Amino acid sequence: MHMKKVAFFLGKGGVGKTTLSSATAYYLSRKGKKILIVSLDPAHNLGDVFGKKLSNKRTPLAVNLDGIEVDLSEWITRYLKESREEILATYRYNTTINLDSYMNIMKYTPGTEEYAVLWAIEYVVKEYGKVYDRIIFDTPPTALTLRFLAMPTITMVWVRELLNMREKVLKKRQTILSLNPEAHVIRGASSVEEDRIYGKLSGIQKRLSSLHQLFKKDSYLTVIINPDTLSLAEALRIRHELEKLDVHIDSVCFNKAPSDGACGEDVKENFNRFPIFTSVNVPSGLKTLEDLVKVEIPELAEDMERS
Amino acid sequence: MKEKYSLGKLWEKFWETTIQVHRDKATGMLEFELNELENLFVVLIFGSFIGLPSPPAAMAMELLPYLEDELRVMVSRADLAQDPLGAVMGMLNVD
Repeated sequence: MHMKKVAFFLGKGGVGKTTLSSATAYYLSRKGKKILIVSLDPAHNLGDVFGKKLSNKRTPLAVNLDGIEVDLSEWITRYLKESREEILATYRYNTTINLDSYMNIMKYTPGTEEYAVLWAIEYVVKEYGKVYDRIIFDTPPTALTLRFLAMPTITMVWVRELLNMREKVLKKRQTILSLNPEAHVIRGASSVEEDRIYGKLSGIQKRLSSLHQLFKKDSYLTVIINPDTLSLAEALRIRHELEKLDVHIDSVCFNKAPSDGACGEDVKENFNRFPIFTSVNVPSGLKTLEDLVKVEIPELAEDMERS
Repeated sequence: MKEKYSLGKLWEKFWETTIQVHRDKATGMLEFELNELENLFVVLIFGSFIGLPSPPAAMAMELLPYLEDELRVMVSRADLAQDPLGAVMGMLNVD
């Protein structure tokens, strides 16, 4: 049976994404599954739940359970450094370009953060996918999450168009070369196999498409809702936006439910196609690691295991 | 010893040059189109600098290392932008 190796906890800020993802990860690890929990939220508090300082490197949190807090600024810096070195290695007139100031601007350019999240996810899944039974991602607030989930689809449209255009350029070069082999206008390659830009674009397309597949087919997505209108409205928006990307949620978690465990009618009405799991607040609060056991997520975790 | 040019060799050279001139003329329009396409390609990638919708800047960044020649075309096209009619007339050999 196909198993969705990756899980994402989505929802409005403060609905309990970190708590539920941690509790699910802890529950599964206690059942003997090897779990990696990864926080993508720039305002990390995953480490606080487990009482440990986390970083970009794996830290053991419990038996069978390791954690990572993705440091986006480190990812951005690493990514820009690679680009910088590549430019210095390939440009003939590199001394005239003030690369460092350009790189500094790039750090704050819209879109860079989402891109960094994507490559961080790609790295984690590639590097640790075989080592763990499941990788659980605790996501940042909705705005950033939706942007990075949409990034592969949107960027792929661009890449497709650019590839088409590049093919036209190369075809034109071939035509000119066949008529006039000494044409001075031909600077670079004239076939898709030799053209480095075409190769790079194809590489980007391949990576983005595999990330889209990861979100679409290999990820278990659960949206968390609280008994309030705002978190429900945001959950509906998440579902709607993801459906536009052909990515579908797998379940809904009704967290901080009233003590009788009743799930709101409006949630049932709006998400009647999906399994809804209810979780009541832990009365004593979460103070120690063992308190995570009291969070009612077994049904959610079992559903995840079946997916 | 001074090389002697035979009439045949001179004719050959003249013929080669004539053919090349005609080839250059024949492909002039295509080369102009190619320059335009290459220019458009870079403008699409770095469109955000001039307020056009563009792919994520970080993606443009990944392509940047390989775009040196295309960037040069873009800059030269920008120079020509001051006198587009002159560029077309030049290409059509209208003095």
